[in-house]
Amino acid sequence: MITIYKDKKDIPQSKEYVELNDVFFNKNTVLELDNQAKDIIERIDATELDGKFKIKSKFSGVTLDVDCLSTGCKTALNVFYFPEKVFCLKECGDNALEVLYAFKHGSVYSDYALMPFDMTEVQVCSGTEKKMINDYEELKEWWSDEE
Amino acid sequence: MKSKPIVMDHFSTVHTSYIVNFQFTNNITILTGSSGTGKTASFLFIKECMSINPDILCLNYLDYQRDIKDIISREQGKLIVIDNADILLDNETRKYISVDSNNQYLIIGRNPKNLFATSDNLFELVNQKKGEQTEFSIAPFL
Repeated sequence: MITIYKDKKDIPQSKEYVELNDVFFNKNTVLELDNQAKDIIERIDATELDGKFKIKSKFSGVTLDVDCLSTGCKTALNVFYFPEKVFCLKECGDNALEVLYAFKHGSVYSDYALMPFDMTEVQVCSGTEKKMINDYEELKEWWSDEE
Repeated sequence: MKSKPIVMDHFSTVHTSYIVNFQFTNNITILTGSSGTGKTASFLFIKECMSINPDILCLNYLDYQRDIKDIISREQGKLIVIDNADILLDNETRKYISVDSNNQYLIIGRNPKNLFATSDNLFELVNQKKGEQTEFSIAPFL
């Protein structure tokens, strides 16, 4: 399951926080892409990975550099390939959130609620407290400090 | 928040097989929606127009190290287009934008906080095939 932080100061010093998902993807994650990325890319951007550094545009069918993936898709791929880091969740659309929330590992940060309606169990970290949440409303409450 | 666009109520451009055809009904348009719908592609097509249209200013994550509020507070009569707004705009800048009567905004992001936005400000991208071209337009976000 993924781990969620809502306060940057709760992110352990041993874990690097990445805010600019586009830049991190273009410089690092792109080198890690393998067959596992195909499914993620198809599910979020409805496009096809064509070799290691190319995708096919879903609009025109032309071949584009993989840097043309959406930021939401890049964020999901960053989380998937670098589960030891914490990535900013704020630029993910609902379709990217649905895929990302289903990952077995990975960590994200947002100071406001960003979650898909159909969510599985996640671990949340706030201060020294860690707990599991598998309910949409409960997670929303945790994020809004209305516990 | 309902306020009429003060710079332009229509923007269109062509980039090879893509057409951008945006009708603005508000001074602050927040372009939101799912990932991978073409929001950033549209931003890049609009950005290309900065070279020929002095009324357009585009900002995105490449401007992350810059003082965005300082930049926009020096502008007058511009359509200011901001991609990656959820990481680029702090609360102070958002509040400034919400009361700025000198410029018009197209903000690409998902967090309307401190922009005093209502459903009137929220739009999503719609794409339509026109022959071999794809046209992007905006429609109210439901």
